[in-house]
Amino acid sequence: MTETTVDATGSSPLLRAFAYAAVLAVSFVMLYPLLWMVSSSFKPENEIFSTTSLIPETFTTDAYRRGWNGLSVSFGWMFLNSTVIALLAVVGNLVSCSMAAYAFTRLQFKGRSFWFALMLGTMMLPQHAVLIPQYLMFLNFGWVNTILPLVVPKFLAIDAFFIFLMIQFFRGIPRDLDEAAVMDGAGPLRIFFKIILPLSTPVLATAAVFSFIWTWDDFFAPLIYLNDIEKYTAQLGLRTFVDATAQSDWGALLAMSTLTILPIFILFVVFQRLLIEGIATTGMKR
Amino acid sequence: MTSLALTGIKKSYGAIDIIHGVDLAIEPGEFVVFVGPSGCGKSTLLRMIAGLEPITGGELRIAGARMNEVSAAERGIAMVFQSYALYPHMSVYKNMSFGLETARMPKAEIDLRVRKAAEILQITKLLDRKPKQLSGGQRQRVAIGRAIVRDPQVFLFDEPLSNLDAELRVQTRVEIAKLHADIGATMIYVTHDQVEAMTLADRIVVLNGGRIEQAGTPLEIYNTPANRFVAGFIGSPKMNFLNVSVDGRAGEAVTLDLAGTKLAVRGIDARPEGLCLGVRPEHLDVGSDRGTPLGAMIATHVEQLGGQTIVYGSLKDRQPIVATLNGQKSVRAGEELRLTADLAQCHVFDAGGRRVAVQSA
Ligand SMILES: Nc1ncnc2c1ncn2[C@@H]1O[C@H](COP(=O)(O)OP(=O)(O)O)[C@@H](O)[C@H]1O
Ligand SMILES: [Mg+2]
Repeated sequence: MTETTVDATGSSPLLRAFAYAAVLAVSFVMLYPLLWMVSSSFKPENEIFSTTSLIPETFTTDAYRRGWNGLSVSFGWMFLNSTVIALLAVVGNLVSCSMAAYAFTRLQFKGRSFWFALMLGTMMLPQHAVLIPQYLMFLNFGWVNTILPLVVPKFLAIDAFFIFLMIQFFRGIPRDLDEAAVMDGAGPLRIFFKIILPLSTPVLATAAVFSFIWTWDDFFAPLIYLNDIEKYTAQLGLRTFVDATAQSDWGALLAMSTLTILPIFILFVVFQRLLIEGIATTGMKR
Repeated sequence: MTSLALTGIKKSYGAIDIIHGVDLAIEPGEFVVFVGPSGCGKSTLLRMIAGLEPITGGELRIAGARMNEVSAAERGIAMVFQSYALYPHMSVYKNMSFGLETARMPKAEIDLRVRKAAEILQITKLLDRKPKQLSGGQRQRVAIGRAIVRDPQVFLFDEPLSNLDAELRVQTRVEIAKLHADIGATMIYVTHDQVEAMTLADRIVVLNGGRIEQAGTPLEIYNTPANRFVAGFIGSPKMNFLNVSVDGRAGEAVTLDLAGTKLAVRGIDARPEGLCLGVRPEHLDVGSDRGTPLGAMIATHVEQLGGQTIVYGSLKDRQPIVATLNGQKSVRAGEELRLTADLAQCHVFDAGGRRVAVQSA
């Protein structure tokens, strides 16, 4: 990777130094808001907007204490809500999307290409177009103000992107293996669980990590479906620090925002290798 | 040991016909080799027998029972794939036991069978390894082992040696022949390599364009090829096909003209146009007193193989011809050689490529 980057910038040392400087500068500009958020979470409230410096003049963790306990429900509780929803979404997506992808790549059924096109079509559909009908449906089910609308659909393979990702990966698994298993007497389910899934860990990890991140980061769906503060996710909790009428607690907001990013950051660092492998082998990078 | 019977077997992909009606009876314990150029439908035919590909038309019987609708697992067949198709995430042991576990065989019995097969194939030491830790030859053995443990009635091989290097290929070929002698199961083996076909087969089935050109023992195929395609496909270097014209005919006796040389033959029952004489390079002789003179050949290129000397050249009328001479002959390019051959070993093909009976007059 690094070698191709170096080659691409040419062999002249001056040119290379210039390229690195440019890349560093752009990186800093991109990262500045994030760094500002982290540093401001350790500043006293009055220092946050009075300086652009990234180094706090007085270092304090007071904002963390205020953020964690400042709402009528502990922020830890919202963390737990977020975790439960995100984990259920991961399980749901892995189970249902892998099965759908297996069906599309390996099974023969009536109207396969039609259903495949339809599935791809749902990827193009804007979320907002289905929002109202979906809300009404869940309202009729009596599911509003529960986590069910956020979790149950994930078990029904609604995420066409993950299905597509897995289809790409499954297509790369040689059909000979399926056929060898067929000769060994294995049926479609046994082939799926014993051959296809064990060989798909990179794409499963990719889908798991992205499911977790996207569900964790989601603000819109919890906003629509969750009303009671005890049911809030961390993302909804963050919003309650900003109040249009009373005073907003910016320090607490930034402190809790920093905490909210932490799990995602750790996840990404830990799974980075698998993620790259997953993305590379699904042909997204080809 | 089980017999197979193929009657009018056809295969089409949509509107495209791939196999055009194959009739073949395979005896119990027979080693049959399907040979033919790439794309002629060998794999397709094999996969239909295996049950991996639905049969479009005709009937497949194994041990007398119709198999068209029977699932692959229930046909009592094991298959060794060209790619070996070992399960990459399973150990060698697991690769071999997978099918038995699928059949819910007791653990002790599975262990017995896997270890016995591993012993036969000398891979006992490799049982805990993953496929990617094996060499090509070892993978090949595991693939065969996976087939053996199931104790199938019929073994199918689809070009099993094509991924091995030359030396290993010869060695494995011998081992497969030995395996057949040991376990005596019916085996069907697909290859495009005529040497594999000649050395392994009890019976060779030559396929071309989805049809059987000829089926017979290796020597039948070699000695009496049914047509020009078979004659050209089996044998290396390839048989020489020399254009001849009919010079005169007196009842049974026919005189052929080969680049000015007259050949007296009998019993040609064919229209005189487009005849050609087929002579294998190894049946040509140079400067010999025996045999029928075939005229002169101008050598253009000589290959010394040590045991043989292969001479490339042309006849007087510039038709190319190849001669394989025994031993080390000092032939130089540009030299003119007097060719002879035993007409009994020559073949005459008609314009349609069919071999017509011929006897030397
Ligand atoms: N799934 C398929 N769809 C369409 N044509 C196919 C398919 N599989 C094989 N063929 C065609 O059938 C012919 C025979 O293929 P194959 O049996 O693999 O040949 P061989 O094994 O003799 O090289 C080829 O021309 C190939 O293109
Ligand atoms: Mg083939």
